[in-house]
Amino acid sequence: MSAIIHESGLRTLIDGWLASGKLVAAPVEVSGRVLYQRLKSSGEAILESRERPANSIKQFLFPRHQALFRYRLNGKQVELVDSADDTREQIIVAARPCDAASLPVLDHIFNCDCKDAGFDEARQRTTVIALACNSHDEACFCTSVGLGPSSEAGADALLVDLGDSEFEVRVLTDKGRKLFEGRTEPGTREAPALEGPPRKFDAGAVRQFLANGFDNPLWGEESVGCLGCGVCTYTCPVCHCFDMVDEGNAAGGERVRNWDSCQFQMFTQHASGHNPRATQSQRQRQRIYHKFSIYPERFGALLCTGCGNCARNCPAGLGVLRLLEKIDSRVRQQHV
Amino acid sequence: MIEQLRETCRRLLDEGSVQVIIGYGDSLPGKPARPLFIRKSEDVDQLTWGPHCLPNLTAYLKRKEVKALGNAAVIVKGCDEKALVVLTKESQVDRASLHVIGMACDGVCAPKCAGCKMRTPRFADEVIGTPSDAEPKAGTRPVTLEDLMAKTPAERWDFWKGEFARCVKCYACRQVCPLCYCERCIADKNRPQEILTSASLTGNFAWHIARAFHLAARCVECGECTRACPAGIPLALLNRALAEQTEESFGYQPGMDPDAEPVFGSWKATDKETFIR
Amino acid sequence: MSEPFEPKIVAYVCNWCTYLGADLAGTNRLEYPSNVRIIRLPCTGRIDFNLIVKAFEMGADSVLISGCHPADCHYTAGNYHARRRWILFRRLLDTLGIEMDRINFTWISAAEGKKWQKVITDITEKTRALGPYKAYRELHEVAG
Repeated sequence: MSAIIHESGLRTLIDGWLASGKLVAAPVEVSGRVLYQRLKSSGEAILESRERPANSIKQFLFPRHQALFRYRLNGKQVELVDSADDTREQIIVAARPCDAASLPVLDHIFNCDCKDAGFDEARQRTTVIALACNSHDEACFCTSVGLGPSSEAGADALLVDLGDSEFEVRVLTDKGRKLFEGRTEPGTREAPALEGPPRKFDAGAVRQFLANGFDNPLWGEESVGCLGCGVCTYTCPVCHCFDMVDEGNAAGGERVRNWDSCQFQMFTQHASGHNPRATQSQRQRQRIYHKFSIYPERFGALLCTGCGNCARNCPAGLGVLRLLEKIDSRVRQQHV
Repeated sequence: MIEQLRETCRRLLDEGSVQVIIGYGDSLPGKPARPLFIRKSEDVDQLTWGPHCLPNLTAYLKRKEVKALGNAAVIVKGCDEKALVVLTKESQVDRASLHVIGMACDGVCAPKCAGCKMRTPRFADEVIGTPSDAEPKAGTRPVTLEDLMAKTPAERWDFWKGEFARCVKCYACRQVCPLCYCERCIADKNRPQEILTSASLTGNFAWHIARAFHLAARCVECGECTRACPAGIPLALLNRALAEQTEESFGYQPGMDPDAEPVFGSWKATDKETFIR
Repeated sequence: MSEPFEPKIVAYVCNWCTYLGADLAGTNRLEYPSNVRIIRLPCTGRIDFNLIVKAFEMGADSVLISGCHPADCHYTAGNYHARRRWILFRRLLDTLGIEMDRINFTWISAAEGKKWQKVITDITEKTRALGPYKAYRELHEVAG
């Protein structure tokens, strides 16, 4: 026995949430792409897993630009004004499992040392309804990092497409239960067995390579194509580096936090002029190490959900996937 | 064509005149070709050629990691080659030591391919293939400059506000552009902070105005900026508007005539305008 | 009862012609609206397009750029370079939907105190009728 909702019922629910002033986001078609965006009506939401959104849901909890506080200068007086936070409840619909799975990781990152009040507050008022994937493309590699097309990590509820505009609703947390209480019907249709993408690399073999591979010529050879933009980091569900700047003039301004990318030339630029990661291969190497070696060793989890956005969106077709495949193939060649 | 290309590259590497070939490799299905940097002649079989060869490989000539590899040969389509003309004019490329392999092109399914008059590179050291008689394989633009200018200024403002709201300041548009080669971009300077770095609307307008205008009368409209944008912003429209005005006011088309005087490096007492009181 | 709108005009002027022209207006006691904030630069050739953008970012309602007449530039050709720049820059701004009425260009020489008075008066009144440049300032209020 499972709980079923019809697509029309789901859209009615969404319109209800919007009408009651909640923020709702879902994959939407924009300019020929599919992107997670805030909805104005349920009609905009794409409720099938035909194309993975080119961005991720982290923007709804960790905005790409966030004012921390404002300040006014009156001569020698400094007046601080807290930035008004949004307190509206937020629901993300049809998040891919590889996006939902980023939340436990981000929860840890934003709380393991200092507690990021802004993130925690947004997290508390956010409910994530994931949609299991019944299709994947060549850039997907969730199954290589311990996830899969119907992974439940990070989701408050999981929808599984049964076909004929019907979804099985798996409620996973109290937040999820609250949203779907009394809105589903019992049903007996079996959810289809969902096959994810084939394995692209062996995460264990990669880890082994990284243990000794810091000076391997692979980094120099395989990152020449990287142009040093921030697409991979900004469309990655778990990348979370940020920069803080003061924007203002003699009358005042605001301190803001913006996304930053380890792939930018200036990322590790010191005021002295020295740059410890002056070449793109050093920056690419660092990204792989952070995600697949340093973070897992310290905190027991990969900093990657295998969504494939980095590979899919990279103007040069690289992303972490390309490097990991190259590492995997080298490791296998050595064992032949 | 591909065999001829591979043979050419094999020869160049074996001769030793070139240390790296910048060409097109494989790709994810349905996606543009990845760039390939071939150093050994036995690797030339990895080179590919076809409608997936969208990227403008001349963008790699500015990269210090590529320059460190030695003398380069670069594979170009007619449209890509226009960037080389500008780069040579701006002293960014030593044309004598760069080997240019031109490919006759039947279209790469991009909007720019419609009506292409540049099917064969004009200044390459060697050209491979001849274009077919058929119309090039082209894509369509979701929004054209005509559509945009048919709107009122207020509508245009709203349009760009909507588009720039999605900009995340990844700077992919800058990094893929062969003509954005400043060692330190103005957006990365903070004494003073000319361009706000925030991905706020104010910051995004500031960046896109700067990007488009620093390319004024230089942009060869290869379309890479729009292709690279992960948010689907039609950046090339801004460059098109400037290209139109450049031709209208100065009779200049970037990347066409290697001997033409660049617009901003020169002036004429007879330059016409009607807006200065 | 809110205060009536007083336009903020930012004028980027060249040191050798327009600035002296404005000065001449002053010494001749020619009254002109105090809405204008004059920013003196060596030459219009030095005026970066971004200065116009910054003025609007910082709350200007109109911008004026003014320099020496063609053939009279103190640095020989600075104003010619500037003219080329503005021909293209205006097109970019128009494509973006920026209100072109709020951007003004003039040639005002050191002897043209009266012209300065007229230009500033006209621009101020024109901007008063246009109202504050809300569109640019509102960019800041909209969530990014």
